[in-house]
Amino acid sequence: MRGLVIAAILLAAAPLGLPPFATTLLTEALILGLLAMSLDLMVGYTRLISFGHAAAYGLGAYACGDLLIHTRLPLPFAIFLSASITGIVGIGVAWVCTLAKGVSFSMLTLAFAQLLYAIAFKWTAVTGASDGLAGIPRRVGPFGLTQFQTRNGYYYLVLGCLLGAYAFCRVLVRSPFGAVLRGIRENEPKTISLGYNTRLCKIAIVAISFMLGGLSGALYAPFAGFANTDLLFWLFSGQVLIMVIVGGQGTLLGPIVGAAFFMLLEHVLSQYTDSWALFFGLIFIGFITFAPDGIWGLFRRRVRI
Amino acid sequence: MSTHNAVPRRVLLSSLTAAALAGGGQRWALAADAIKIGMPVTLTGALGSIGTQMRQACEFWAKQVNASDGLLGRPIELVIEDTAGNPSNTVRKAQEMVERSGVRLLTCIVASNEALAVAPKLTEWDAIFVSGDNGDGRLTGESLVPNFFRPNTSGPMGTRAVALWLRDSPMKKFYGIGMDYAWGHNSMDVFAAEVKRAGKEFLGAVFSPTGTKDFSPYITKIRQSGAEGCYLVLAGDDNNAFLSQAKQYRLGDKIQLLTEQVDEGSINAVGDAAVGLIGGSRYSATLDNPANKAFVAAWQKEYGRLPQMFEGDQYQSCIVLQAAIEKAGSIDAAKVRSAMENLIVNSVKGRVEMRACDHQGEQAGFVVKVVKRPGMEHPVPEVVATYPADRITPPCNQMSYDN
Repeated sequence: MRGLVIAAILLAAAPLGLPPFATTLLTEALILGLLAMSLDLMVGYTRLISFGHAAAYGLGAYACGDLLIHTRLPLPFAIFLSASITGIVGIGVAWVCTLAKGVSFSMLTLAFAQLLYAIAFKWTAVTGASDGLAGIPRRVGPFGLTQFQTRNGYYYLVLGCLLGAYAFCRVLVRSPFGAVLRGIRENEPKTISLGYNTRLCKIAIVAISFMLGGLSGALYAPFAGFANTDLLFWLFSGQVLIMVIVGGQGTLLGPIVGAAFFMLLEHVLSQYTDSWALFFGLIFIGFITFAPDGIWGLFRRRVRI
Repeated sequence: MSTHNAVPRRVLLSSLTAAALAGGGQRWALAADAIKIGMPVTLTGALGSIGTQMRQACEFWAKQVNASDGLLGRPIELVIEDTAGNPSNTVRKAQEMVERSGVRLLTCIVASNEALAVAPKLTEWDAIFVSGDNGDGRLTGESLVPNFFRPNTSGPMGTRAVALWLRDSPMKKFYGIGMDYAWGHNSMDVFAAEVKRAGKEFLGAVFSPTGTKDFSPYITKIRQSGAEGCYLVLAGDDNNAFLSQAKQYRLGDKIQLLTEQVDEGSINAVGDAAVGLIGGSRYSATLDNPANKAFVAAWQKEYGRLPQMFEGDQYQSCIVLQAAIEKAGSIDAAKVRSAMENLIVNSVKGRVEMRACDHQGEQAGFVVKVVKRPGMEHPVPEVVATYPADRITPPCNQMSYDN
């Protein structure tokens, strides 16, 4: 807990000490961290392997982009409304996907994400098709708040959302509901035999996961100023899954670290070589083979010794 | 942590550049004096071949400038990074160039959706972006921002050249095949409208999903349509697959194949299958003017081959940027912007005037035909028609033409 407070203080002080571009990078890393953490609820705690989490991100980003472009809604409201919309869509997705288990569940999540991708590619009026939505504004907040329009202000908005989401997830996974989720992860038939409606629990956690994923997508759209179909592509879903696994699944904090690690590594490697994906692949194989607990697991082992 | 490490590495890189410049016998005292040009360019992925051409043109230009007295007496330093064609990378890398490397001038962004993503950020960055190939009409239309300039030929201008050529051609009936996404449909709509305006018949069009490998059902449809000409809105691998199959089916013997843009990349990929294709072109090495002859000769000396279309187009953009900086006497965004407006440059494509109203370069348009020339390894595009700037450039802020 003390480490957490220190980390939060360090992150809060970061924009004051970092050069401007580092703050921009860190903002994006935190947004991706929020996305990876939301996927961890499904992958790490419930063993629901989703190959389509980009759907939540893209949905949130497009919803937020359209709200900011076409309405006068202030920035924070647009972001939270988009997250809610994504969560509601998540209920429907969960209802369908939880009809299946294991690999079939994963395939259904993938199919759903690809469906959204295809729609985004065709529905020019709403998504701008292959060109995407560009020039998404950061509207003035409620009561004329202009702070979120600046680089540092937006960083604090993202940091606030991440800390809030983390606190929520932490309470969630430690609650009785979280215990049921772990029950589903370890042995679903046994959990059912204990009298729990596991399908309902799974629908709930997928919807929550979508809502938080949608929140991160909604934060991304005004941050980057645009949204396009790449945000919904299956390749991106795979990358988020990698972030969770490299960071350390079932730890909430691990995936955040994994996301930051993935993004910064991509950023640094791509400056030196065009085939950065090759090196990243090797690093990923290394983690799977030698450190299945991910970065967080390595870190914890080191600290305990 | 990587962030902290990366800063000194970047410093190290630029000091290496400085050492290289000094070691090369250059006159520049300090690399800090260099004019930095940011190039977030697509080098990998589907558009990588275009990005590679554009990068080479920029490198050639920078080398030329640095070999003489530099620009405003300062050397040019290119800051190049691969975006893999992903707009989120492009924005991030451009932002990094601006905020960390102090870049105020950007060029060489390949895809239009990348350009559309970067444009709204330019005012905040206080940076000028000079397009080298971006075709989307909206960039000088509804999405125009004060710090964006387009010295190259736009997409509507390319289509316009083909449309003007159509009016004079004896063909009466047309059909089309396009890729099934925004660009394919938009370009086909523009073409259909032009055909009708010319008083000719547009029989219809088919659209193939991106990544189609087998075009035989589409080729059958085109054959059965009874058209004399077929308009292709295909790019990259799809274009290559179509042309190769069309040759097997001898489609070109019956129907004249037309395209928005003839690009050497695909000619080199499909070889003889491209012969006979007629289309718009932004630049051809065969253009007959003194600036182009000097450029082609210098290029051949350097690389042992003719410059290709995107190389010529990007090079012209570099020359326009150079002229604007010389006129402004500074690289300050506000000064370069006012120097750029109404600037007239005679370059590889002849006269270009950067009009102030929508920042589009007014210039001539070309239609080329792919022919086989003895002694050449690949077929080459040859200019068959040239149209003056006032017929090619659309009215200000518009993507369509009045007549």
